Amino acid sequence: MSLLSVRNLLSVRDLSVGYESPGAVAVPAVKGVSFELAQGEFVGLVGESGSGKSTLGLAITRLAKAPARITGGSILFDGTDIAALSAENLRSQRRGGFAMVPQSGMNSLNPVRTVRDHFYDIFRAHGHVSVHDRLTRARELVGKVELPATVLDRYPGELSGGMRQRATIALALSLEPRLMVFDEPTTALDVLVQQAVMATIRQLQKAENFTAVLISHDLGIVLETTQRVMVMHDGAIVEDAPSRDILLRPQHEYTRMLLSHYGDPRADVVSVPGIESRAPEAGSAATASRPTRSAREGRAALETLVVDGVSKVYPRPRRGEQPVTAVNDVSFSLEPGQSMALVGASGSGKSTIAKLITGVERPTSGSIVFGDLRVDAIRRRDLKRLHREVQMVFQDPYTALNPLHSVEYILTRPVLNYSTLRGADARRRVLELLDTVGLTPVEQFAAKLPHQLSGGQRQRVVIARALASDPQVIIADEPVSMLDVSLRAGVLALLENLRQTFGVSMLYITHDLLSARLVTDQIMVLNRGSVVESGETSSVLRNPRDEYTIRLLDAVPNPGRADVA
Amino acid sequence: MTDTTIKKTFASRRGTAPLLMLGRAFAALWSSGKARIGLVILGLFVLVAIFAPLLAPYSATDNSFTRGDSGSPAHLLGTTGAGEDVLSQLLYGTRISLFVGIAAGTLATLVAVLVGLSWGYARTLVGDVINFVVNLFLVIPALPLMIVIAAYLHDGGIGMIVLVVVITGWATGARVLRSQTQTLRSRDFVTAAVFSGESSARVVFREILPNMTSLIAGSFLASAVGAILGEAGLEFLGLGDVNTVSWGTMLFWAQNSNAMLTGQWVLLFAPGLCIALLAASLALINFGVDGLSNPRLREGATR
Amino acid sequence: MNFVLKKVGLLLLTLWAAITLNFLLPRLMPGSPADAAIAKLAQSGPVSASVQAAIKAQLGVPTGNIWEQYVSYLGNLAHFDFGVSFTFFPQSVSSLISAALPWTIVLVGVVTIVSFVCGTLLGVLAAWKRGTWLDTLPTVGGAFVSGFPYFWTALLLLFFLGYVAGLFPRSGAYGATVTPNFSIEFFGDALYHSILPALTILITSLGGWVLGMRNNMINTLGEDYVTFAEANGLKPKTVALRYAARNALLPNLTAFGLALGAVVGGSLLVERVFNYPGLGYLLYNAVTNQDYPLMQALFLMITVSVLLANFIVDILYGALDPRTRR
Repeated sequence: MSLLSVRNLLSVRDLSVGYESPGAVAVPAVKGVSFELAQGEFVGLVGESGSGKSTLGLAITRLAKAPARITGGSILFDGTDIAALSAENLRSQRRGGFAMVPQSGMNSLNPVRTVRDHFYDIFRAHGHVSVHDRLTRARELVGKVELPATVLDRYPGELSGGMRQRATIALALSLEPRLMVFDEPTTALDVLVQQAVMATIRQLQKAENFTAVLISHDLGIVLETTQRVMVMHDGAIVEDAPSRDILLRPQHEYTRMLLSHYGDPRADVVSVPGIESRAPEAGSAATASRPTRSAREGRAALETLVVDGVSKVYPRPRRGEQPVTAVNDVSFSLEPGQSMALVGASGSGKSTIAKLITGVERPTSGSIVFGDLRVDAIRRRDLKRLHREVQMVFQDPYTALNPLHSVEYILTRPVLNYSTLRGADARRRVLELLDTVGLTPVEQFAAKLPHQLSGGQRQRVVIARALASDPQVIIADEPVSMLDVSLRAGVLALLENLRQTFGVSMLYITHDLLSARLVTDQIMVLNRGSVVESGETSSVLRNPRDEYTIRLLDAVPNPGRADVA
Repeated sequence: MTDTTIKKTFASRRGTAPLLMLGRAFAALWSSGKARIGLVILGLFVLVAIFAPLLAPYSATDNSFTRGDSGSPAHLLGTTGAGEDVLSQLLYGTRISLFVGIAAGTLATLVAVLVGLSWGYARTLVGDVINFVVNLFLVIPALPLMIVIAAYLHDGGIGMIVLVVVITGWATGARVLRSQTQTLRSRDFVTAAVFSGESSARVVFREILPNMTSLIAGSFLASAVGAILGEAGLEFLGLGDVNTVSWGTMLFWAQNSNAMLTGQWVLLFAPGLCIALLAASLALINFGVDGLSNPRLREGATR
Repeated sequence: MNFVLKKVGLLLLTLWAAITLNFLLPRLMPGSPADAAIAKLAQSGPVSASVQAAIKAQLGVPTGNIWEQYVSYLGNLAHFDFGVSFTFFPQSVSSLISAALPWTIVLVGVVTIVSFVCGTLLGVLAAWKRGTWLDTLPTVGGAFVSGFPYFWTALLLLFFLGYVAGLFPRSGAYGATVTPNFSIEFFGDALYHSILPALTILITSLGGWVLGMRNNMINTLGEDYVTFAEANGLKPKTVALRYAARNALLPNLTAFGLALGAVVGGSLLVERVFNYPGLGYLLYNAVTNQDYPLMQALFLMITVSVLLANFIVDILYGALDPRTRR
């Protein structure tokens, strides 16, 4: 038995983890999982939300806390069953044992202690670094994650998200672990930062030769990084194979489904399930075949949204700092029925533009005109008129619906506010909207409360609400970034389909170039508030000219590019 | 009329949903051991207050008995220095404390909700002024302010006490509710309601307000406790109407008739215990309410 | 430094508002407190024109120019001149207050700090040992005791420990046989007299700090940085104190500042029960005799003391939280 497991650093046998609540049956999250990790191996653990991957990661580092409990099986770390260790034994095992880099690096550091204190706390707890070597060692560790030594004197609140995530990695590294578990280490970070942090993790793993597990919802990132991938679905590992095999010869249908949602936005033809591939010339053809306004209940002709030389400067956040220019001299026009992408990393000003167009905030200079409305100087009482025509689809379906209102209430309100329909007619309209977004049987969905819906269904309700006023423009702010990969295509296809059927114009705000390629004709790339490149989506993405666009394209996780040789 | 049908569907939803929610909230409260004890104690006090005339052996103001009786079959808890039955006074006194707690608690919470919500939702310069006023009321010691106001409006009775408690007690709740309003205001569903063409009032009262029911309940319970203790304190100092029968005035008379020297400890002990029990029951219920709004504080959610 | 300056500015503004509130209060009240006060004073002897003017400046007359009264009120305040008390005629209000203030500051100040420290430590223990008797006893006990009216705890202790057991003196701040001076004998006697009032404030205010700290700490124990500290194998004591408790202390300190007013208010009633010669006892006498000049001055003194204490708490908070220093 022990002879067999000698070359394996970690050996998990029939591990089960359940969530227990008093007076209720335990809900299994991990169901009898078994796997081995060889010394020095870099393994990915992929799954969508609720697959049990994070629970498994916490269990193998013995960090699962109530209500989660290990209900069965063993975790042999270097021959010792750590599932049965006492608290103090476990604590001392953590040095030179197993370390964890948690999901949200934002909150993993104690806000009232400096980074240096964090290192010293660890050194003191294990006594493996002598008092007069502490500073040298801490400097060396932050150097390994490419941070300057000055961060040691900083408080977590003074660091950027990427720096904090690097600091947590350095702290975990200070344990000199043989196994490191990274739980979604870059999820909360901006695309470009995410790419840089992942590069650091890869280099570290090669240099230090620890065994590593990368937990992620993003198969692309995992395939780019790891040698072997375990795919988790519904509490079980459904496929466990070398990365190359996962990419080229996926066995399980779930893996195949995940893979099908990746693509290269630079390719000549791009498609994911549910969205037809767009030929390079499709953009111009689509513009020509726009449905006319007459299809839309005889309302006035569609208006063009004209944004001209708009800037937004926020007052300096603190004394002694510079005012922040969120948007800098941006001009564009959104033609009737057009679909335009606004892409950029977080902080590029794309969400600010959405706020300016919808009258939520006012530009510092420049003009925004929609029909007879001067949006840049809109009066309070005109806001309702604007919102009737310009609607919004929000990023997070979990906060965009009031948890206390039924779907029917949520959809009825805009119908009552924006149309003359009342009573049974209004209700008919609500059911029609539900049908439009594919939530059938409509009667059933109308009666539901948001918590009874899945993320994808919630986002469909959000879209139905945006359609309720029969608007001319829909602004979709990262509408799929909070959804699981498998659900994204469906929602995108719905948006695209609605645009073509009703002829609404769409401003699609995203950091995800692949989806921009799939659903838009025109694109604008924003960097620090300024447009650095714009044009037809397919030509811009296939032949990017600006340095920043190229960097964004390089940051797109792409299994096809993975180094699986 | 089609209009009425849809109104009916909403009316029925409005009618049932809050009731359902109330029921669910009660069940959740009941499942917490501490809150359950609080609810039982509070329930007993409410019953006593309602049925005081049936439960009390004598009238509370009847002073025809032997003075200073320290307990006999006819007067289980004895009689006061003025010859009234202590048990009857105690039972009737429940009414005053409960009334003050509920009335002052409700009014203070109402002010707190109105100030907290408008202050949290509006983004105007007025906000800074309100901020200052609320902070002022937060740091000014309430009881001395109550004493001073009560001294000017001498012998004002229960209404005066309720008023004084409300003036001094609304600020804490307003602050808590404001910060929650600010949190909720930035949620997408509030922005979405504005995009749905809702008026500001409707956004505040139909979108934001229902999401803070447990905070409002907590704020009510805290102001009710403050009101009950404040009322007792003022009456104990003789600043209320000393002729009403309440736990506070009982203690006032006990102190003034030197119950300590005569060894009538029940006179001192019983009213104070009732005040403490009533206040503690509300504090215990607040434990459960805390658990409703903050899952980490729920019982059984051990580490 | 910016932070401190801002707080000083806010303190000055709040002080001004409190002083103005004190000015407006008697003027907002029905009737004429000033006339009532002058009439009352006339019973003790003839009232000079200057004393009358001073009382009117302080309490207001319906006919006067409010702005002139305000200026005159501020002028008197600057000279620490609050007029004459008619309860303790002919002593001046300011001399009465200066005699009473030290007793209250020492008693309430010291006990409140001790109570906060003990309560916070008990709260840390309760949260760390959640679900055990070390948790249940202080929380349920705390919830129960914090519902006690201060004066009732005082009456109970006075009755059982003062009258029945006869362990402690029942009244006053020092015995009739000692004279206030800087002798060990006097201090010992004063300490002996302060035990019951101190115990009352301690018992009644302790529960609130325990509950507050426990809830805060349960929250911080669920934070990611605590999980990460455990993942790094820090010693349980370090995790509990330097990670969970250290962060839970900050909101508890804010709560301390806000609850200070209530503790001071409660302590005033305690002084009344023990006839302890502090501000509360003086306030009781002023109120029962409708001695408005004394009452107004006392209210102002108490408010200013609480404001200053709050200011100190704010500064302390700033020192403990690196985020406010930016």
